[in-house]
Parts: sequence; structure tokens; C-alpha cells
Amino acid sequence: MKPWLERGRGLVMGSAWGEALVSRGAFTFAHGVDPHTGVVTDIRSDVRGMNVKGKILFYPFGKGSTTASSWFLETVRLENNPAAIVTEAVDLSAVIGSVMARVVYGKEIPVITGVSRTAYSALKSGDKVFLDAGRGEVRAEE
Amino acid sequence: MLRGELGEAKQFAMEVVSKVGDAVGADELVPIKSAHVLAHYSSLHDAGVEVLERFADSGGRFAVPTSVDPASIDLQNWRSFGIPEDYARQQFRLCDAYARMGGMRCWTCVQYQVCNLPKEGGVVAWAESSAVVFANSVLGSRSNKITAGMDIACAILGLTPRFGMLLDENRRSSVIFKLYLRELTDLDYRSVGFFVGRNAGARVPSLAGLPPSVTSDQIKHLGAGAAAAGPVTMIHFPGITPGSRTTAEASGGEKVEEIEITRSSLSDIESDLNQSSELPDLVAFGVPHLSINELGELAKQLEGRKLKKMVKMYAYTSSQAYDMAERTGISAIIERTGARISHSTDAEISPLKALGFNTVLTNSAKLAEIVSSEGEVKVGYSPQKEIIEKVTS
Repeated sequence: MKPWLERGRGLVMGSAWGEALVSRGAFTFAHGVDPHTGVVTDIRSDVRGMNVKGKILFYPFGKGSTTASSWFLETVRLENNPAAIVTEAVDLSAVIGSVMARVVYGKEIPVITGVSRTAYSALKSGDKVFLDAGRGEVRAEE
Repeated sequence: MLRGELGEAKQFAMEVVSKVGDAVGADELVPIKSAHVLAHYSSLHDAGVEVLERFADSGGRFAVPTSVDPASIDLQNWRSFGIPEDYARQQFRLCDAYARMGGMRCWTCVQYQVCNLPKEGGVVAWAESSAVVFANSVLGSRSNKITAGMDIACAILGLTPRFGMLLDENRRSSVIFKLYLRELTDLDYRSVGFFVGRNAGARVPSLAGLPPSVTSDQIKHLGAGAAAAGPVTMIHFPGITPGSRTTAEASGGEKVEEIEITRSSLSDIESDLNQSSELPDLVAFGVPHLSINELGELAKQLEGRKLKKMVKMYAYTSSQAYDMAERTGISAIIERTGARISHSTDAEISPLKALGFNTVLTNSAKLAEIVSSEGEVKVGYSPQKEIIEKVTS
């Protein structure tokens, strides 16, 4: 794809580089990702069967149980967590999970919000992405 | 040393709460009257055990009255329900950390019927989506749906960010549901809630047309159905919700969309949630927890019947209602049929699959929704009377 850059609002700071995993629909870690593998298990997810581990995870908004932050943190404990999270609307589970990940496990998982689905409509799972939450930047490269 | 330790827990809590405040654009942190937190192993996992212990070990103590959602096991009779030893051990680590921080030991999702009843107008920080609906809609308290991790942090600080349902402008109703049905079964209340939750989207709904005889138990189940189906955290019930005598008052006089609820609306919900007509291996009542009145009603319906072989029936309730059922002979009637009362836990946070259950039958829209989205266990959704007819002789 063509080089692409989008700005959002950094909620949890840090930078990351990796492959994108792009969920077009709402996403949840609660009962939706197996913490022991990182594989998406939610039967209603369009990225079911794919793995969040080490990915730059894109989704428009969260859904479902307020325990999602704990499920997210369990992927961190088991080292199957995404490298960063990019959303359109604020997902508090991602923010809280990421803050706890830094305090409890010393892991930096930046979170950016305000990046709309249309802005990354051309982005596909597997594309290489660089992200800097401090600058609020998400960049895709060939 | 102690000062330093106290400092660490509060510092961690403040980091979580202020990050959330930043993320949602809250202008300030405001005091809360009470907290309700999550400490069940099935969702918190080993990471959650480490988080709670870290809070407790570093001197974290709850600054306000704090209650807790059900555990993942019956805290008294877990062995007889077949819970593995190592699973129970992790749950008890959570219980211990929670107790050390000074939480009330009533493990229930209906804390407002048992041990945590805030006054009208007060701000609370509650997890448990169904209780948040009850707090905003019936008690007239103000709560956002508080996420795991943030719940403990708010309880330790006694503070929560001011946003969402704490603000007047976000509490006005912007869609009205009108119920055109005379007779409502137990299942109908759950299905009405589910329909409202599914169709309200991000809007705050009002619901007109409930019978004047509606009970707090029926509203409890209606609210749980709504919260299971969508992001709803408040429903205006004209004449019940403080400040909303009419639907017009609920919407601040604005003209808003009206949606009818008919028998066919409810049939659609039922056929969505009722995915199995097989004889179940577990019947589950009490998601959310049954009150002592509901246990009494269940005993009446079960009296003189026998549960079919191969079927287990669990009625989930709070420890307080469990004790009262023991004392008043309600438990004896229920247990004579072969059914059991389980307290301090609930079906949707139990390891159902691990306990060998493959098909669950319930009158809870919340349980049906959660079980069906996981896709591991089949679920049927029917009225209590029909369920009892089906699984007893």
C-alpha cells in the first residue's frame, strides 16, 4: 500500500512497530481473546482465528464486559499481548489494561484513539505499521 | 515505612484513575459514596490476582463502603459443586486481598438489595452493568459502568472522574420505548430489557407502559437484560426514576423517537436467545441473584416435584438470602426436588464447561447472551414455569 500517516490522540505513551491486525467491527478481550495463545476467539469478531500477539491492533470501539481490561492484562502476563492499540472511540479497557501492564509487568503498550475507520480503510492485517503515541502518529509503510 | 507503603497503593490507584480521566476528558475527580468492585477469578485470571495482591500488599485500603460482585465459586460449598482445588485457591487469594482492603463480604451482583444502598443523588463507582442500571434508574444515584482495575482504584481513592452519567446533560432520555402488553411473564421482563438495550444503542431510553404492580425484582432483571444487550447504563421508568414523573420530563421536554414494543418484538428476542430445545444438563436461575422473595416463589413452583435424572438445577443467590432461605424452610423444599441453592457465586462467572456442562437452560437473558457469544456451551431461554415443567416430573 501507499505510505500513509494518520494523527490521533495518544492516551498511553510509547512507540511500537509491527504488523497491523485490523478489526473492522467492535472488539473485546473479555471472552474474546484466549490469553494463553493470543488468538481471537469471539464468534462475532471479523478477525476470529487471528493472533493479537506483537501486533498493532486496530479496532473502532470496545464492547461487552467491563472485565475486558483484566483479560487484556492476562495476555500481558502470558506475553501474548498486542504491541499497541489504536481505536476510533476511547476504549477504557485498553487504557486501564495498558496502565496496569506498565505498573505491574513493566511493559509499555501504547494506546492511541481518535483514528477513524475510514482513515485506515485501506490498511490490511499484515501491513507494517509504526506508531508513536507521544506524537499521536500512526504510519504505514511499504 | 507504612507511610511509604500506603503511598504506593494510592499512587498506583491515582495513575489508573487520572489516566481514565484524561482519556474521557473529565474536568475533575469527585468524591464517591460507595464502590462496587470485581474479584472473580474467571475474568480476572492470574494477572488480576497479582493486581489485587499488589494493591493490598502495598497498603491499599478502601476509602468508602465497598461491596463486591459474586466470586467464581460458591465460597462455602465449592467442593460439593465439583470445583477443582487449584481453581478455588486462586479465587481465595482474590477474596483475601479484597478482605484485607476492607471490603464488605457480601459477594453479590444485587448489592442494592443486600448491603450497599446509596442515597438518591449521590455519586457511586460501581462495576457490574446490571447494578449500574439499577443505581441510575431506580435509586437515583449516579454511576458510570466502572471497568475492572479502575473499580479498585476508585474505591481506594474514594474518587472517580466526573464524566458520562455523572453529568446532567448525559442523563436525559433521547428515545422512548412504549410497551403495549398487558400480561408479562418473568421471561417477558428480561426480553423487554434486552429489546430496549439492543435498540437504544448509545442513547438513554425511557420505558413507558410497565404495570403499576412492577416489583424491584422485575426491574432488576429487566435492567440486566438491557445491559447485556448494549451499552445502556440508565433507563427512565416514569413514576419510578427520581426526577422522571413522565416520559416528557425524562427527555427534558424534547421531542424524541418512539419505539413500540409488541409481542412480536419479544418473540424475536426469544428466538435469538433460545438456541437449544434439548433437555439441558444445567438449569440456572438467578443471573442476577434471586432475592429471598424469588427463592420463595421458586420453592412454591417446585414443591412436590422431582428433578429428572441427568439434570442439575442451581438457583444462585446472595449469602444473606441463602441464610434466610435455610432458616425459613425454603431451602428444604427446593433441595427435596433435587435442586440446589448456590450462594456468593453466579452461573456466568462459573467455569461451566470445565464442570462438564454442555447445555444450559435459563430464564436469564444476560446469561443466555454471555453463554451464546462464547460458543462453547449451548443455551436455551424459556420462562421459569416452562423450564420447571420440562425438567421435573
